[in-house]
Amino acid sequence: MQLALVGLSHKTAPVEIRERLAFSNDALRSALTSLVDRRRVNEAMILSTCNRVEVVAESPDDRLIRDFICEFHQISHDSVSTHLYSYRNVEAIRHVFRVTASLDSMVIGEPQILGQVKEAFRIAMDAGTVGMHLSALMNRAFAVAKKVRSETGISQSAVSVSYAAVELARKIFGDLSGKTVMIIGASKMGELAAKHLRRAGASSVLVTNRTFERAVELAKVFEGAAVPFEHFTDHMTGADIVITSTGAPHFIIGRNLAEQVIHRRKNKPIFFIDIAVPRDIDPAVNQIDNAFLYDIDDLQQVIDANLKERFKEAMRAEQIVDDEVEAFCLKMQTRDVVPTIVQLRDSLEKVRRDEIERNRRHLKDLSPDQQAAVDQITKSIVNKILHPPIEQLKQMAHDPQGADLADLIRKIFNVKPQ
Amino acid sequence: MHVVLLRLALGLYSFGFAHSVLTALKKKQTFFQPALAAVFAGFILHVASIALRALDVRYLPLTQQYEAFSFFGALTTLGFLIAYAKYRIAPLSVFAFPLIFIMTFVANLFYDPSASIPPVLRSNWIYIHTPLVFFGYAALFIAFAAAIMYLIQERALKSKHPIRFHNWLPSLEICDDLAYKSLAIGFPLITLGIVTGALWAQAVWGVWARDAKVLFSFLTWLVYMMLIFYRLIAGWRGRKAAYLSIVGFIGVLVTFLGANYFGGLHTFQ
Repeated sequence: MQLALVGLSHKTAPVEIRERLAFSNDALRSALTSLVDRRRVNEAMILSTCNRVEVVAESPDDRLIRDFICEFHQISHDSVSTHLYSYRNVEAIRHVFRVTASLDSMVIGEPQILGQVKEAFRIAMDAGTVGMHLSALMNRAFAVAKKVRSETGISQSAVSVSYAAVELARKIFGDLSGKTVMIIGASKMGELAAKHLRRAGASSVLVTNRTFERAVELAKVFEGAAVPFEHFTDHMTGADIVITSTGAPHFIIGRNLAEQVIHRRKNKPIFFIDIAVPRDIDPAVNQIDNAFLYDIDDLQQVIDANLKERFKEAMRAEQIVDDEVEAFCLKMQTRDVVPTIVQLRDSLEKVRRDEIERNRRHLKDLSPDQQAAVDQITKSIVNKILHPPIEQLKQMAHDPQGADLADLIRKIFNVKPQ
Repeated sequence: MHVVLLRLALGLYSFGFAHSVLTALKKKQTFFQPALAAVFAGFILHVASIALRALDVRYLPLTQQYEAFSFFGALTTLGFLIAYAKYRIAPLSVFAFPLIFIMTFVANLFYDPSASIPPVLRSNWIYIHTPLVFFGYAALFIAFAAAIMYLIQERALKSKHPIRFHNWLPSLEICDDLAYKSLAIGFPLITLGIVTGALWAQAVWGVWARDAKVLFSFLTWLVYMMLIFYRLIAGWRGRKAAYLSIVGFIGVLVTFLGANYFGGLHTFQ
């Protein structure tokens, strides 16, 4: 197996280049077929997302792929060559494993990439450009991604404001089902946080806003209820999670109000999420029993800590990938070498038998003992001739050059690859 | 034979203890499943040990110090297993397993094969009074552990420092709920325990026993009474309730462990 990979990502290319070299879903099929139609490109798969383009092929030469990318997008080599990276064999395997396991992502551990790679693989399968080698590689890559996810914590903690809000809400309430979320002020970020809380199980949503129409509109999105801004304090009694994001220049929820609400709630806890700048909730609210207040900086602090944790976990993930790359290479090389040995034996045994058959006429006068001796002698000649190349192949099974040697030996003995 | 079983149980409980220490240090559930299996196996041997002892002395084996600790250890295990089966709150193990281990360890330490039962304790009341009190203690211990978990989690959340977050702890709501439910079970049990104790004393002497243990258990009972009252009437929950629950359990420990120093009827032999 000879792998070549050429690609570019958010790390090597600005968005102007990435969008120039992206493959649209419609173009993927024709791109794949035109790629494998080229000489010395046997199998191919293309991953194209907003953050990266990766073209991986079973081919001995990565320059073929670079040419293909430039020709397909009608762009000159010089304008993109600094943005493209190329990997071959072991390095290509490692890159595929790392990308699939989300170790090369902009946000390390983000879960979408695995789905995108799977989709790219499926498209290539449909286009018929994936063979034995690429499917072995990709199936292993999916398994490695799964292993990384389950054995390290790289995807565990929240790294966005909305997810951090969900994570904290879970620490307070556990299960969010039956909980009510109240949105005060209709900002994009507040909406997003509410959406995630809703998806995490929160059952109902109350929306209030200075312009009531906007509240009604937003309430519709969440199948919730709109509350007139003048009365929002009354409705806060029923809210377990309160998200504020108004443009008010001063606090709209002070300590007294929060105390009253908690009292009316018989001390059931409230989680206040203040994502407004300037802030909507008096920080002193956090000192009240059963009230938990996080403003945007507090959430950011949680996110930063989680990111740090992810980087630590990513180191462990890299170790897993290293081990897996080694194991996969070994398996592939043995797979290249073992069939060659078998074919070599079969092919020479056939030569021997054919020769004996052809000379059957001259041998028929020999006694059975003598005939057996001829058989034995020819066998041992074949074995003696085969011994050195087979030994060499066995030794090279664990060497990156093993595949090349197998190729060479097959050529010398005129053994057709399977 | 019963002491061999008790020691084997202790050995198995030590896995639980190790799990607790590791989890507290790493701030992450560590080896929970194997530890749970070991503690469960230990519990079965422990119960067998108590049963054999009971057959031996032909009496409820609760009159000697070692027997009391052993019994309490087994009941705490039972309490934990019930709470775990019902709520799947694994982190409770971090508090329960060490207590189980220590109680069983002390039981081994004080082991005394003699089986002399003071005549004053020879009464059928012992079959009612002591188990009620001990079951109550085990439930109140669970309430105590839930309160501690609540306070740790609450402090972490209020501090807003993610480094102090404890991902292995259950949510505040679950801690509070568990504390409340265990209190709701434990309180009636110790109440009945005190009532049956009073009746027993009345039956023997015509007056209530006046030793230190009775006084302390009454004070403890008052603390829990207050807690129930505040929870039901004033809607207390969370931190304040947790503090009171801890005070109450300190009362339980003083009552249980201190009895020997105060002297009196409840001194275990």
